[in-house]
Amino acid sequence: MTLVQDLRSALPDVAVRDGLEVATGLRGGAEPELVVSPSSTSEVVEVCAWAGRQGLGVLPVGRGAHVDPVRDGRFIVLETSGLTGIEEYEAADMTITARAGTSFGVVDDALAEHGQWAPFDPPSVRTRSIGGFISAAAHGPLWAGYGALKNHVLGATLVTGDGRILRLGGKVVKNVAGYDLLRPVVGGRGRLGIVTSVCLRAFPKPHHERVLVLSDRSVPELLDAGVALGTAPILPVSIVVSGPLTELDGRSALVVRLHGAESTVDADQATLESHIRAPLDRVHEADSLLDEIRDRGGVESRCVEVSVLPSRLRDVVSAMRNVGFASSVVDSYAGRIRIGSNSLEREAVDALRGAAEGAGGALRVVRWAGDDRPAGTPQREAEAGLSERLESIFDPDGVLWPVRP
Amino acid sequence: MTQTLVPTVADRLRAIVGSDHVITQPDRLVAYESDGLTAYRVAPRAVVLPETTEQVSKVLEVLHGEGIDVIPRGAGTGLSGGALPSSDGVIVGTARMNRILSIDDQNRLATVQPGVINARLTKATEPYGLYYAPDPASQSACTLGGNVAENSGGPHCLKYGVTSRYVTGLTVVMADGEVVRFGGAGLEAAAGLDLVGLFVGSEGCFGIATEIEVRLLPKAEGVRTLLGLFDTMAAAGHAVTDIISSGLMPAAVEIVDHATIVAVEASVFAAGYPTDAGAALVIEFDGTEAGLDDDANRAEQCCLAAGAIEVRRAASEEERIGLWKGRKKAFGAMGRIAPDLLVQDATVPRTRLPEVLARITEIGEEYGLNIANVFHAGDGNLHPNILFDRQNQDELERVERASREIMTLCVSVGGTITGEHGVGIDKRGYMPLVHNEVELEMLRRARWVFDPGGNLNPGKVVQ
Repeated sequence: MTLVQDLRSALPDVAVRDGLEVATGLRGGAEPELVVSPSSTSEVVEVCAWAGRQGLGVLPVGRGAHVDPVRDGRFIVLETSGLTGIEEYEAADMTITARAGTSFGVVDDALAEHGQWAPFDPPSVRTRSIGGFISAAAHGPLWAGYGALKNHVLGATLVTGDGRILRLGGKVVKNVAGYDLLRPVVGGRGRLGIVTSVCLRAFPKPHHERVLVLSDRSVPELLDAGVALGTAPILPVSIVVSGPLTELDGRSALVVRLHGAESTVDADQATLESHIRAPLDRVHEADSLLDEIRDRGGVESRCVEVSVLPSRLRDVVSAMRNVGFASSVVDSYAGRIRIGSNSLEREAVDALRGAAEGAGGALRVVRWAGDDRPAGTPQREAEAGLSERLESIFDPDGVLWPVRP
Repeated sequence: MTQTLVPTVADRLRAIVGSDHVITQPDRLVAYESDGLTAYRVAPRAVVLPETTEQVSKVLEVLHGEGIDVIPRGAGTGLSGGALPSSDGVIVGTARMNRILSIDDQNRLATVQPGVINARLTKATEPYGLYYAPDPASQSACTLGGNVAENSGGPHCLKYGVTSRYVTGLTVVMADGEVVRFGGAGLEAAAGLDLVGLFVGSEGCFGIATEIEVRLLPKAEGVRTLLGLFDTMAAAGHAVTDIISSGLMPAAVEIVDHATIVAVEASVFAAGYPTDAGAALVIEFDGTEAGLDDDANRAEQCCLAAGAIEVRRAASEEERIGLWKGRKKAFGAMGRIAPDLLVQDATVPRTRLPEVLARITEIGEEYGLNIANVFHAGDGNLHPNILFDRQNQDELERVERASREIMTLCVSVGGTITGEHGVGIDKRGYMPLVHNEVELEMLRRARWVFDPGGNLNPGKVVQ
C-alpha cells in the first residue's frame, strides 16, 4: 500500500495529493512524500498522529511562498489552506479570530468594513496566510508606531507535534493567566506546533495618513537622517530608508509615515523637519510607494534580515558594498535591514553577518534557494539549550522539526 | 511551622551578601510574611538581600545545593500572593539591586537592576525627553523586577501596551545559579524562540531577572484629561464603547463606581467627585499638542451622547492631578472602611462590561459583601474590590466564594481570571476555569524547562 493509499484509508476525509505539487518556497529542496490539507483542528491532530506512526516529519506551511526548501529527510507538507474563514469578529471589542489558512487580505477587508485595521506590513502581507506570517513573526516598518506583531496576537489554537490541542492566550487584550506560551509560538516557525486559528487585536483606522519623503541625498546621508528622526520628540509610525524605488524614479529615499488628525500630522511634520533641519516632501498618492517598500524582499528567491541597534546601522550599511543597497530596505527606528535579491551570494552574506555581529547585531537567512545557504546568527548556547527543552515539551517525538535546515 | 535556617547555611549566605543582609530574626521576618495580598501570611526561614548578579548567582547556588525553596521578591506590592513565602523557603529580595545601569537615549533603551522602582526610571529618563510607559497603580513603590515577573499593566497600557512590549533583553539567574542572557536589543534577527517574551510574566518561577533592558518612549508633548460623571454605570460603559469605536485612541479610560466615589469622598483623599454620581469616567489623551483639543472634544461629545450629567476638563497639571485623584487614591480610601481589601483582577471583552458589573453587584448582595469597582474600562480589565475583615472567618469564606463566582462569570463571557496581577497563590485555584488539564500540564512542563527541580517559587501559578 502506498503512503497516499494508507493515509486515505486512515483519514478518508482529509484532502491529500502527491508531493510533486509543492509550495513555491519549497522548490529546489527535498520533495515531500505527500501534501495534505486538513480542514479542521481535529484533522490536523489526526494527520500528526498518522505521520508519527509512519515516522514522517510534518512541515506546516501556509501559502508556502515564504518557507525555505527542505534539505533532506522524509516528510509530508501540511498546508493550512483548508483552514480558512473568519470565526469571530467582535468589531466593538476590536478583536478578530480567523482560521490559520485565511489570507490576511480577507481579515483586512473584514476589518475595513468597520473602519478598523491590523497594523501589520510584512512583505506580500495581503496574500499571506495569517497562521504563516504569525509563525514567522513577519514584520514591517509599522513596528515603530504600533509595536511588534507578537503584542497584537491575543490568542491561538495550536496542535502540538504529538497531537495535543492547546488554546493559548484568549480574546482579551490583557491576560496573564499562566505563563505566556503564546509568545514563543509567534515566530516559532512551526517548531512548537501547528497554529490552526488566531485571534488578533484590531485598531481604529487612522483618520489621516501623511507620507513624507527625503531623497536626492546619498545613502549614508539618508540613513543619518533616518536614525536622527528616531530620536525626534514625536514618533512616526514608520521610518524607512530604501534603495532605489520605481515609484520615485529610481531614487533612494527616506520615507516617513505619520498617522493622526490632520492638525496633528501638520505639527508632527514641522517637528520632524526642524529636528533634521531639512524639508520633507509630501507624497499625495502614496499607496504604490508604500507597497513597493513593504514588499521588498518578499518575492525574491533569496532574502536575509539584519538587526542592530539604530546607532550602529551606519556601520553595517557601509559593509553592504558586496550585497548592494539597491535591493535593501532599512527600518531605521527598529534597526532592521531586509535585503532581497535573486543574486545574493553566500560570501557577501557571510561578510554582512560578520559586520552585523561585529556591531552587536545579528543576521537571519529568511529564505535561500540553492544549496549554498549561509548560516545565520545562532542563539546563545544557554538560550539554545532552553529552546530545545521547550521544543521537547511541545513536540516530544520530534515530528515537527526533523526536516528543516 | 516555619523552619529555621541551619546555621552553616546562614553563614554561607552571609559570606556572600554580608551579615547585615541575611535576615533570620523572627521580629524582622514579620515584614516579609505577605505581599499586597494580605489574606495569607507565612513567615519565611530567612530573607537574603543580594546586590549584584554575581551574589544572586552564588546565593541560588547555595540554596539549590541545599534543596531549599526560593521565593523571589521585589517591593512586595503584588496583589496575587506571588511573593508569599513558604515556611521552608528563603526569600531572595531585590531591594538592594536598585541601580539604573545605563540610559541610552540614542537607541531609547535603559538597563536596570530589578529593584529599581518603576517611577524612578521615568524620572531618570525625563532629562532625555523619554519615559518608561507601563505605569502600574503602585508605580511609586513597585519595582521593574516585579513588573517583569507579573507582566504588569497600568492605566496607560490601553494605548501603550503592557510590560512585555517594552522588555528587550534580560540577564537571568536560573534556579541552580547559572547566569543566562536572554535576547537583547539589536539581536532580534538571531535564531531561536522568544524566551524573553516567555520569561516576562513567569511570576518568579523561571529564574530571577537581575538585569532588565527596556525600551523607552518619547514623552508626549501634551495631555488632556476629562472626567465624565454619569448617573449609572451602564451609561458610563456605553460612553467607553462609543469613544473607542469612534476611532479615538485615548491613553487611558478608567472608571470608578458609586461605592468607590463615596469611599473616596469620605476619606482624606476627597477629589470633589459628586457622591450622587453612579460612575465617574477618567479619560486621558496624550501626544502632539495640536490634535489634543479635537480628541478631547470628540470624547466629551461621546460622554454627553451617552447621558453624562457633567464633563469636566483639566486646565492645568494641578487640575489633572485632581481629576485623577478619585481613581488613584481609591484603594487607599477603601482601607478606612474595612480592615482588609481584596483587589480582584479579571478581564472581559469590553462590550460585556455593563452586564458583568451588574452581576458583580448582585453577587456582592447575595454574599452580604461590600464590593466596589475601580477598573481599566478601555481594555475591559476589572478590579472588583471586596472589603472584609480577615479575622471574621465566616466573612473570609464568603469572600472566597464570591471571588470564585466573579471569576466564573468573567470567564463565561469570554474573559479571563487575571489581566495584570498574575495568578500567584490567589488565582491558582481558578486556573481550571481557563485551562483544561492538557494546558495545565503544559504550564507545569514549561516550568520544568527552566527549573527542573521546582525550587523557584513553588506552589505558585500551577501545581
